[in-house]
Amino acid sequence: MRKVIYHPKYKEYDLGPQHPFSPVRVKMVLELLDSLGIPFNPVQPELISADRLKEIHEPDYVDIVEAVSNGEAAKDIGQYGLGTGDNPVVRGMAEGARWQCAGSLLGAQLLINGQAESVLQMGGGFHHARRGLAAGFCLYNDLALAVKTMTDHGWHVAYLDLDVHHGDGVQEIYYTSDKVMTISLHESGEYIFPGTGWLHELGQGMGRSLKLNLPLEPYTEGDSYLESLRKITEPALAWFRPNALVVQAGADAHFSDPLADIMLTTQNYQKIFSYIFSLVEKYCYNRVLITLGGGYSFFATARIWTLLYLMQQRYEIPAELPGSWLNRWRKIIGTDAGNNFHDREKAYRKIPRKGDIERVNQAMAIRLLDAVAGDWL
Amino acid sequence: MLIREVMHPDPITIAPDVSLSKAYSLMNRENIRHLPVLESGKLVGIVTDRDLRLATSKLAEHPFDPQVEIREVMSHPVRTTHSNDPVEMATQIMRELKIGCLPVVDETVLVGIVTNADLLDAMLRLTGVHLPSGRLDIGMPDRPGELARLTKIIADRNINIHSILTYSEAGKRMRMVLRVNTMEIHALAKDICEAGFEILWPPHIICVK
Repeated sequence: MRKVIYHPKYKEYDLGPQHPFSPVRVKMVLELLDSLGIPFNPVQPELISADRLKEIHEPDYVDIVEAVSNGEAAKDIGQYGLGTGDNPVVRGMAEGARWQCAGSLLGAQLLINGQAESVLQMGGGFHHARRGLAAGFCLYNDLALAVKTMTDHGWHVAYLDLDVHHGDGVQEIYYTSDKVMTISLHESGEYIFPGTGWLHELGQGMGRSLKLNLPLEPYTEGDSYLESLRKITEPALAWFRPNALVVQAGADAHFSDPLADIMLTTQNYQKIFSYIFSLVEKYCYNRVLITLGGGYSFFATARIWTLLYLMQQRYEIPAELPGSWLNRWRKIIGTDAGNNFHDREKAYRKIPRKGDIERVNQAMAIRLLDAVAGDWL
Repeated sequence: MLIREVMHPDPITIAPDVSLSKAYSLMNRENIRHLPVLESGKLVGIVTDRDLRLATSKLAEHPFDPQVEIREVMSHPVRTTHSNDPVEMATQIMRELKIGCLPVVDETVLVGIVTNADLLDAMLRLTGVHLPSGRLDIGMPDRPGELARLTKIIADRNINIHSILTYSEAGKRMRMVLRVNTMEIHALAKDICEAGFEILWPPHIICVK
């Protein structure tokens, strides 16, 4: 029972033509599937009310977001993280965000009801949204809402964040929870947003040693990324044995992403996804909810999420991209990554610090396991 | 940042005629290391856990008996600070004298205590991540108007600055460390680089100067 969730209204979460978090990315995926002749039959969520978001967010924050989204004037929106370059105020953005939250919520419900084992939500992934703060392109935390639906059902939930940025919002909301394990692999916050996600952020109180962060060196490549992922996730999930896994599958750790510096290829992503599916089978009662997330190199992001769809739905990965799709998007975007579905061999220049980077990442994984070992009894 | 923003108000104190043994128990119970000594409401000395342990140590040539009074081993006169002093002044005094705390005395009244742990907390407030943000490390010439030029570039992109930390590199240049509310740190760094500033972090920002 593998389901896909999507609604055309997701497109209404659009922060403007110049904004990187663009609905064009999912549009490219859907058109690529269509050009490949692959069926796309999603389950559609029903819109959720603003009150529903108050389960996760501070009520006054939700009220402000809804008000400004309706064009009402509000004072001090800056203290809610609104009206900035990253989180501009756009008419209708709250409703657009609620449509996407509805999808992630539906995903959780399908798992709980046993109507699905594997759910791919073709939107959402707003991991930076805090309890009372918009941040990093995110308004409402759909992931935290989906997780809460599951923990309300009595489940233990593991959350795995593949986005290149630290999953700070989800971590904040569940920092003291003993029902939720969060694992985030991301580019180290030395300079990129949000600046958190350090190894010593291990959770508080009952949540201690259940919040795991693996900051990776800038210019980390696929082999080192996979090694780090394996070293941490396998023992963590084998110990925690969650009733379900929630995955934020941001595609911005691709080497061509303009916002970050991790060097994954589409081939690496295929290995990562297949590894995660194997973990789900082994340790997570075969239940997984996957959302999208960041990803700002349009051609790369479209291919990575198409790959994710094809793998989740168990279709073959095509060797080449359809000419019609390529031509259309080349005209619109201007750049591309060749005619093949996967990246080229030697797609980027050699990384001079490769050996050092690998050693730093290996040491980091060991330090993280040492830090939690005393609590993982 | 002033002392009164970082100090502990109403510190626990002790009288000079209390025994070393009782003072030591008080420190353990309250989980503190420093006790200002008050006599008739006036600060007359200070005693630390280290003072007590050294005074009574079996390794000392003439160890004090645990029952002697605090006044025998306390340090005095006491160096103090004022609640309106800037934290950097207190830091400098503590480093110069190699001591771990300063009682805060306003006029003649003891109103607080500031310890090296408080100053580390102040350091965290100055340099830490308190809101989601990216980090820029910039080198700039030490002359009027440079910071204004820099912040205008950031303001023009509608990016909020959460903190600015600055220090001088021995007269060579000024270093600015900014925490800025943007996901697009590379694009911002490139704009700043193109305006002629030196980008030290993130690395590998390529621009046309």
